[in-house]
Amino acid sequence: MNVTELSNEGLKRSYSVVVPATALAAQKDKKLAELGRDLKVPGFRPGKVPASLVASRYGKAVTGEVLDASIQEATDKLLTERSLRPATQPKIDLKEFKDGEDLTFEISLEVLPEITMPDFGAISLTRLKATPGEAEVAKAIENITRRNASLEETESRAAAKGEVLIVDFEGKIDGVAFQGGAGTDMPVEIAGPGFIPGFSEQMEGMVPGETRVITVPFPEDYQAKDLAGKTAEFTITAKTLKVYTKPAVDDELAKKLGLESLEKLNETINNVLQNEYDGIARSKVKRALLDALAEQASFEVPEGLVEAEFGQIWPRVEADLKADRLDADDKGKDEATLRADYRKIAERRIRLGLLLAEIGRTNNIQVTPEELNRAMMAEAQRYPGQERQVIEFFTKNPDAINNLRSPIFEEKVVDFMLELAKVEEKAVTPEELAAAE
Amino acid sequence: MSTVSKPAAPAPLSRELQYLTIIAPVITEKATALSEKNQVVFKVAMDADKRTIKQAVEGLFGVSVTAVNTIVVKGKSKRFKGRPGQRSDWKKAVVSLAEGQSIDLTTGLA
Repeated sequence: MNVTELSNEGLKRSYSVVVPATALAAQKDKKLAELGRDLKVPGFRPGKVPASLVASRYGKAVTGEVLDASIQEATDKLLTERSLRPATQPKIDLKEFKDGEDLTFEISLEVLPEITMPDFGAISLTRLKATPGEAEVAKAIENITRRNASLEETESRAAAKGEVLIVDFEGKIDGVAFQGGAGTDMPVEIAGPGFIPGFSEQMEGMVPGETRVITVPFPEDYQAKDLAGKTAEFTITAKTLKVYTKPAVDDELAKKLGLESLEKLNETINNVLQNEYDGIARSKVKRALLDALAEQASFEVPEGLVEAEFGQIWPRVEADLKADRLDADDKGKDEATLRADYRKIAERRIRLGLLLAEIGRTNNIQVTPEELNRAMMAEAQRYPGQERQVIEFFTKNPDAINNLRSPIFEEKVVDFMLELAKVEEKAVTPEELAAAE
Repeated sequence: MSTVSKPAAPAPLSRELQYLTIIAPVITEKATALSEKNQVVFKVAMDADKRTIKQAVEGLFGVSVTAVNTIVVKGKSKRFKGRPGQRSDWKKAVVSLAEGQSIDLTTGLA
């Protein structure tokens, strides 16, 4: 094998490799002999087929195989000999090849940059810490009671907003009943959602037993085309009035939710809120850490990787741009600016990814099988009733497990860095936490 | 033997008849082994005689033939769904080539 370096600039390298014809022929003969050893051809006993016949039948296929193998081998050898760590799959440019000649091809690749470890000690961060107060817990409980409210019949009186009337109604357009315009015993929340605008609003103040005639225009963009924009006349008869009744906050409510007592309920809510705040705080400190790292790290980034990452982001942005769905930050920018912006984002992502991987590698951070298992279980629990299928899917698809691996790895590396960095704790209220940048 | 005169040379064979005479090469272990003795084996038409076979091989492959030996291979009797059946007989020709000549059987005839 004969290697000449063609270019070496930045992270890009390219080489020209020549594999002599004799080496190829020797490999081919070996392959053919192997193949002939248990080949069955009519007219011959198994394995007694003459080599020339095997060559004429399978020569072409074997040549292809040998080429593939020797290119692979030469590439591997090149990488190990020069101790290159490729960032991208090496690109192989094979010029025309004729049987019996030397194999000449070019390899071009990008290598991983030399990454200098950032000085973790120089990074100082603030970790916000919020604890839920009584007000937050009370608010959460209030939410729970509202969700658990039951509809109860009440005495006959004028219906107010938010109350529910059970009604019969019949709608007509120009005196003709239309499809879907009538109903019996329908619960209608006064000024509530679910009906055409103006329908439930006009029922305010109705007393059970009362019949009222209202006119309601259908909106112009109503989904039923033949009704859109027309005005309908509804004859409504109210039957009974019902109101939402919130359950009392006591042990009974806790039991209904599967907990022992009100105290337990308070505690659980407290824990949930605490977890939520901790999660927010962590993601904020992580972001700050990554920002600090990105500032420190200034090594060159392999263009191929940036290109690939950008290729993943850009179509989405482009689609958003066409559909005019860009978020406020990006509105009003033209395509060239957007392109530059998102390329910068892609570069940052790749740079941080490489840096994290490198930090993990040099500090021997690994994801243990137990952690993977736990992540798999957590993933499975997101699909209640199908846990078994999810686990089966993961055991059958090693790639899918790798998808689980990378976030765990990232978290572990972040943890590792947080240990080393200067982290200051600062107590804040939940509102301040949410507002903090 | 000097009293027996050589039969007169047969009329030249048309190209079509040459193709009809030589049906296929026989590619078996035994036939391949014969190539060491510079002999080639063909399946030939049942009604072909040694002289026409010689003419056909020389005409089709552009070689000179020194001898032709023929064998009629008897068809086996086989049973098909319990009924007795008979495979066709066929004629095999072992053709000896002049020294230094050869036929490449792996590439078909144009």
